[in-house]
Amino acid sequence: MLKLDQAAAANLKRVGYTKDNIDQLVKAVDDKTVRIDLSGEVTSELLLYRLAMVIASVVDSVEVQKHVANDDYGNAWLRTHSAGSGPFTLNRWAPNELVILEANKNYVAGAPKMRRVIVRHVPESQVERLMLERGDIDIASAMTASDLATFDNKKGFEIQRVPTGGFYVLSMNAGNKYLSNPKVREAIAYGIDYKGIEKTIMGPYGRARTVPVPENFEYAIPSPDWHLDVAKAKELLAEAGFKDGFTLSLKTIAQTPRIDLATAIQASLGQIGIKVDIQQGNGSDIIAAHRARNFDLLIPQTGAYMPNVLGAMEQFASNPDNSLEANNAGNFVWRSAWDIPELTALTAKASLEADPKKRGEIYVDMQKMFVDQKPAVLPMFERFEPIVLNDKVQGYVGHPNQTTRLEGVTKAETD
Amino acid sequence: MKELSVKELARRVGHLAVSLFILLCVTFVIGRILPADPVGAIVGELADPAAYAAMRQKLGLDLPIYQQFLIYLNGLAHGDFGTAVLTGNPVSSDLAQAFPATFELATLAILISTFVGVPLGLTAALFRDTFIDKIARIVALVGHSIPVFWFGIVGLVIFYAGLNWVGGPGRVDVFYEGMVTPQTGLLLVDSLLQGETEIFWNALGHIILPAVILAYAAMAYITRMTRSFTLEQLSQDYVIAARAKGVGPARTVIGHVLPNIAVQLITILAISYGGLLEGAVVTEIVFSWPGIGQYMTNALMIGDMNAVVAATIIIGFIFMFLNFLADIAYAIFDPRTREAAQ
Repeated sequence: MLKLDQAAAANLKRVGYTKDNIDQLVKAVDDKTVRIDLSGEVTSELLLYRLAMVIASVVDSVEVQKHVANDDYGNAWLRTHSAGSGPFTLNRWAPNELVILEANKNYVAGAPKMRRVIVRHVPESQVERLMLERGDIDIASAMTASDLATFDNKKGFEIQRVPTGGFYVLSMNAGNKYLSNPKVREAIAYGIDYKGIEKTIMGPYGRARTVPVPENFEYAIPSPDWHLDVAKAKELLAEAGFKDGFTLSLKTIAQTPRIDLATAIQASLGQIGIKVDIQQGNGSDIIAAHRARNFDLLIPQTGAYMPNVLGAMEQFASNPDNSLEANNAGNFVWRSAWDIPELTALTAKASLEADPKKRGEIYVDMQKMFVDQKPAVLPMFERFEPIVLNDKVQGYVGHPNQTTRLEGVTKAETD
Repeated sequence: MKELSVKELARRVGHLAVSLFILLCVTFVIGRILPADPVGAIVGELADPAAYAAMRQKLGLDLPIYQQFLIYLNGLAHGDFGTAVLTGNPVSSDLAQAFPATFELATLAILISTFVGVPLGLTAALFRDTFIDKIARIVALVGHSIPVFWFGIVGLVIFYAGLNWVGGPGRVDVFYEGMVTPQTGLLLVDSLLQGETEIFWNALGHIILPAVILAYAAMAYITRMTRSFTLEQLSQDYVIAARAKGVGPARTVIGHVLPNIAVQLITILAISYGGLLEGAVVTEIVFSWPGIGQYMTNALMIGDMNAVVAATIIIGFIFMFLNFLADIAYAIFDPRTREAAQ
């Protein structure tokens, strides 16, 4: 991955692993042991978290080398085949259609209980609901809120609300003449009806939260007192010199629940005097606009790459070079042109702090500083991915990064 | 006649080639100027600029459009449609997988719609303004005006979830997935060839509902057109003469009217079949049918223009080819064309 300079390698490059040093830092000690030395830019705990993002896996080098073509290290072959040592092997992979996994009888901890696992792409939520009700599938994800609601307290089914550690965010472009003013950003923070939206739109998808760390994570601070307060928001806009209001565009991917969220934000910001024009698009349009700083307001969603305060907070609190020339489009804060040197320095300091307690204290200070600076990347709702399971399925625990362990999952054969 | 026919055939093939080339140019240019971001789809939202730029260069998107087009044409001349962003496979191999699914569905649908729609249209015309005609017209109107999406969902709720008469979404039950080795890509055919009758019946159970729903929409059009063509013929002198000579209504329609409307019917059927083969996107999405319509929609959503351009060319080719076949059938079935040629 590093040698082919693939996109996923960025996660390791950021902490000092490169195509030049990887051979020295990673070695197979014996048939069953792989040793990874620290690069000096990351603690062992944080490296383990990065590796757990499934950006790299140990493969059978002898098998893979049989399938090398054009010096690709077997990459093309590995797109549709597996050569790992996990509990399942890949039988078939057809993107947007089907994945079939077969139990690996030689798995080191014994063959998994399920002989076969099939993942099927069902684009239409109502159809997915019917298949689940009929028993043709056992687990359904990505259903619409209305289809999910039909399984509330329904006998034979269980809804799991999988926390992602991420957020639905209102990104404001601080390069915009209005949004560069912290008072305007604070007015917007007071111009959103978080509780009302949570109740009517987010439902199982989100929980109101305006600090970028989920409230059940260690070292998370309580949300600030931002709530819909039209008078206060208007007062802040007047203090900023915009008492007559202004117009902004709001870009969003046309997907549940973000499109409904955009409409609700449009309505409540209208009350404080900010006219919002919604511009919908597909994923690639909106992400391209976000990366190019070509927006006023935009609703992205994030995920935590580690289930801890650092994993949740890092992308909201680091922007090493805010200049346009830096073109750091992969950085979430840079896209909003929000310059935060103090927070960036603290993020770097925290990621090298080996003592978890001291690190946690730094993150508490960072969250307070984040709120004080009236963020241009405003977390609004903690993001969940609800799934529905037939209760014949036992042992399935949805994973935030969709890397659920399946070897312990079982399914009762009869009612 | 032979010399003329060959010349005419060559002219039509030439037209087909020119039309396809224009379609290719237009689709390619539109694909490249759309504000879609295939690079972002590959490298991910949080990729750094270096990885982004490297992928952009690898895909050739940093080159001027005319150069990209020349490279694409060169690939095409060697049978290479490029690589699909979403799957990482050659587009030609993706299409070879997706097209048979659509072909199987569309072919069954056109057979159903023809064998129901044509007799229904003939009967409606023959019994004009009677109860039968009114029923036929209502059936056609409903098929024409209610969206396929609605029919699909309602059909699944009643016949799959409620009555358990048909299989659910997908081409086959999950249990049977991957058990038949693709030979023709047509699951009904492959399962029979491999002696897997159980899978054949299961696949038939899965295809029947989407095929009937697709067929209904096409049938509505075929019924209306057949009725209209027949009514036009029924007022002609030759029909009146036949009836005056004592020929019964059924024999008049089958023996005299049907051959006279055959040419127009062939055109209608060719258009309907072309429409079905281009991938009934909505039906394929509702029924999780892994055909060309769903493939192209997914590709379009992430700006995967290699896949979109190739699929558009294939669909365009099918449409033009069917029209071409209809033209040839025209020459065969219309005696006036034959006589003029002689």
